[in-house]
Amino acid sequence: MNDNSAVLMLHGLPAAWDTVTAALVSPSTPPPVTDESVSEALTLLCKKGLGQYVEGWLLETLQVSLASHVAPEFWAGLQQPEVETQERARAVALLEAFRTLLRRLQPFLCGLERLGTWQDEGRAGLLGPGAHGLRERAFSIIRAILLFSPPPVLQQRVLEFYSRTFSVYMSQMEEQIEADDVAAESNGNDTCTGCAAAQQVCWCQDALEQLQEFSHILSRLQLLERVSSEAVTNILHRLIEQRMEQRCRGEYERSFLSDFNEWLEQVLGWLSRVFASEVGEAGSNTLPTDGMLDYIGSTILQRWRCHMQQFFCRIYVNMRIEELFSIIRDFPESTPAVEDLKFCLERTNQRQQLLTSLKSAFETRLLHPGVHTSDIITVYISAIKALRELDPSMVILQVACQPIRKYLRTREDTVRQIVASLTGDTEGCSELASELSRADPVTLETQDSEDEGSDPEEWTPDPTDALTVDKTGSKRRSSDIISLLVSIFGSKEIFIDEYKTVLADRLLHQLNYNTAREIRNVELLKLRFGESHMHYCEVMLKDVADSRRINTNIHEEEARLPEEEQPSVPLSAMILSSEFWPQLKEEKLELPAAISKSMETYTHRFEKLKAMRTLSWKPHLGSVTLDVELEDRTLTNLSVSPIHAAIILHFQEKGTWALEELSGVLGVPQELLRRKLALWQQHGVLQEESPGRYSVLEKASSRERPDRGIMLIDSDEEGDSNTTTQSEQREEKLQLFWAYIQAMLTNLESMTLERIHSMLRMFVATGPGVTEMDVNELQAFLQKKVRDHQLIVSAGVYRLPKTTQ
Amino acid sequence: MASQNLDPAAASSTAALKGNETAGSVSKGSVSKRLQQELMTLMMSGDKGISAFPESDNLFKWVGTIDGAQGTVYEGLRYKLSLEFPSGYPYNAPRVNFITPCFHPNVDENGFICLDILKEKWSALYDVRSILLSIQSLLGEPNNDSPLNSAAAELWDNQEAFKAHLHTTYKN
Repeated sequence: MNDNSAVLMLHGLPAAWDTVTAALVSPSTPPPVTDESVSEALTLLCKKGLGQYVEGWLLETLQVSLASHVAPEFWAGLQQPEVETQERARAVALLEAFRTLLRRLQPFLCGLERLGTWQDEGRAGLLGPGAHGLRERAFSIIRAILLFSPPPVLQQRVLEFYSRTFSVYMSQMEEQIEADDVAAESNGNDTCTGCAAAQQVCWCQDALEQLQEFSHILSRLQLLERVSSEAVTNILHRLIEQRMEQRCRGEYERSFLSDFNEWLEQVLGWLSRVFASEVGEAGSNTLPTDGMLDYIGSTILQRWRCHMQQFFCRIYVNMRIEELFSIIRDFPESTPAVEDLKFCLERTNQRQQLLTSLKSAFETRLLHPGVHTSDIITVYISAIKALRELDPSMVILQVACQPIRKYLRTREDTVRQIVASLTGDTEGCSELASELSRADPVTLETQDSEDEGSDPEEWTPDPTDALTVDKTGSKRRSSDIISLLVSIFGSKEIFIDEYKTVLADRLLHQLNYNTAREIRNVELLKLRFGESHMHYCEVMLKDVADSRRINTNIHEEEARLPEEEQPSVPLSAMILSSEFWPQLKEEKLELPAAISKSMETYTHRFEKLKAMRTLSWKPHLGSVTLDVELEDRTLTNLSVSPIHAAIILHFQEKGTWALEELSGVLGVPQELLRRKLALWQQHGVLQEESPGRYSVLEKASSRERPDRGIMLIDSDEEGDSNTTTQSEQREEKLQLFWAYIQAMLTNLESMTLERIHSMLRMFVATGPGVTEMDVNELQAFLQKKVRDHQLIVSAGVYRLPKTTQ
Repeated sequence: MASQNLDPAAASSTAALKGNETAGSVSKGSVSKRLQQELMTLMMSGDKGISAFPESDNLFKWVGTIDGAQGTVYEGLRYKLSLEFPSGYPYNAPRVNFITPCFHPNVDENGFICLDILKEKWSALYDVRSILLSIQSLLGEPNNDSPLNSAAAELWDNQEAFKAHLHTTYKN
């Protein structure tokens, strides 16, 4: 009996092995062997200590079969030459390959499942990693063999398939949205928007079903992440980029964030389909609870969402950085773009990139001689506005606009432009004028005060890219447009002086004593620059008001006089206090006797009115209204400059004048006179009968068309300013410095450059029109004087040449 | 453009200074300002033959230069002077001395000058420019009634001899 049982055992051992292995790898379910017999066989194997080899054998079998049949079959299925041509066929082939793969592996997976269950139950004392552990191992083997070095065709196919299903999905989503729209059908387009195939053979629905199955298979094989991630990432990136190019580029007046988020939700809908089976499959598996499943599903989606947002931000910032110059130019219309950019910039680390790019954009597009100063200022103002939205710490503003400020300093007309736009003179930038009249202006003084009363809790450190050379710290970093502009030159005096000039021009040009607008401007500027600085301007305005009063006074007095004593030429004077007005242009002009006489009378009356004061006339400034009566015609109400009037008055006495003769009488250079005569020639009042001889054309009929040669337009001075220009002022400044330098060298013999510089700094009262000169400028100036032999230099010491002594 | 307008701010500060004069507490700042202004005036005036400039960074101590006026015996000679301004300037006269030795009836061997406007006739309306112009004209028109240098006063009538002596003793 004992022998018998031993034989049975020996005989039973291979049989038991066969039973067990057959149960594990049998291709058909239900298993051919009953559960009981398998259990018996298993017990037998375990008794003999062979139970542990079952696991090893099963995995080995899987590996061998995978390597020898399944994997080659899979790749062959994928690369069938006959499916190369058609997309739809390719999709089917892809799916078919994976189907086959799953079919081939299914038995093994079932076997593993079974073995795992046995191990978990500890049936017949079988030990092992359990169902979960076994599955992990099996899938590692599958991944390792199948995807160790996948040919690119797999990625291509997967990518193509996903792209297709994506567009199908998106087009269906859109159709849902526009469900009511009949237009969608009647657009007459025969191709389906989803699958790009003709409507009749649309395979959208198929595609979506294929996607479902594909995802299912992949997730079943735990290959989903492996196979799809790359393709999905790829698709998403491409789509985001495409979408951005189409929608956002060049479009700054709409915010894209919410738009993008909506779209993102749609895309996530598709993603959830791609990864849905991951979620669903996990549910039918052995993982414990449903709550856990949702969690996993949503973590995957969550991860994708983050990824996409991050990616969106990067792409968006990249694009906007490229376009920042245009965005700034279009500000404030581009506010939505700036806000979007701000949101995204906070999420990506690209401030440095933005700074560099913006700086170079400024340099190449703005800061070159072809751009008008007022345009540069306009862009700068826009930049201030836009960048203070973008970066409330003002660091970007400060760093990026450094080149603009530096460049503006080199432009001669910067100050004039700024002042002109402050007072609303130019058409281009009215922003400054409105900025000036804004409520609660920042006065330039208080701005420097130490504490602005901000809550210390709200303090934020400067971004790391703040200029380290800037010691003033963030609290001084102003965003006030006017103070930023004024600070370009470091001192507000320059601006006030320039404003004075502009104001003088304005007052002298209009000649109607109307100062309402100027008073408003001065008052506004006073709020900015402080009372004391605007003192001169106030005097100027007062002068105008006084002039009006004095004029009225004198005119009334004259009106009371008997007819014969009344002045032949009625005069209105603008009486300026010379100390307070900018230097007026000097020009010599001898007025005809009648006018000089009127002026003298006027002066007498003025002296009576204002004791201890007198008038000194500027005969070349002003305007004369006159009628010209000729034999057959009358020109009425001509407004001309005094010199024009003087010329024509002389022709009243004498019909013909030689140029040099007239120039002698008027005290005006011939060249200038010739230009002035052109006006009367154009009016057809005078003609140049022979070179240098002018005569009156009494009869219009005798007047030939003026030939082109003498159509000299008296233009160069007409629109010119009455006050000295900036470059003249600079010349004056240099002249003043030279006087100081000569005086110090006369008295102190010889000095070094540094000493001269420090002396100048100390003693030149930086009054109106005089600003400091830096050492280099001074050196250049002195070098020039040395070249002109007005100065000698030896061993770094300057002295005056002996000959002047 | 001769205007009689005065800077009201300047006028009022002058009045205030006058009030303070007896107390002798004229702020140094306003004196500096006045001196700076005078320097500016002098620089802008462009007078030939006179010149002055602060000696160092001290605005209260100047060096002046005077060229002898044309047509006088001093023509072609250049004299250096020192000007020291008291803190009460311009209500008190500055101290003015020749640095370059000057042979002149009203200048002694230490360079002291006898000039009424620097003494009892001083007025706050004078300034550096008027002082220098006065001294320049004093060179050509000495006051021989109250000589500091009697030898020079005696020699003055003989212009030829005076000039000869002047040029032999002149040391720059």
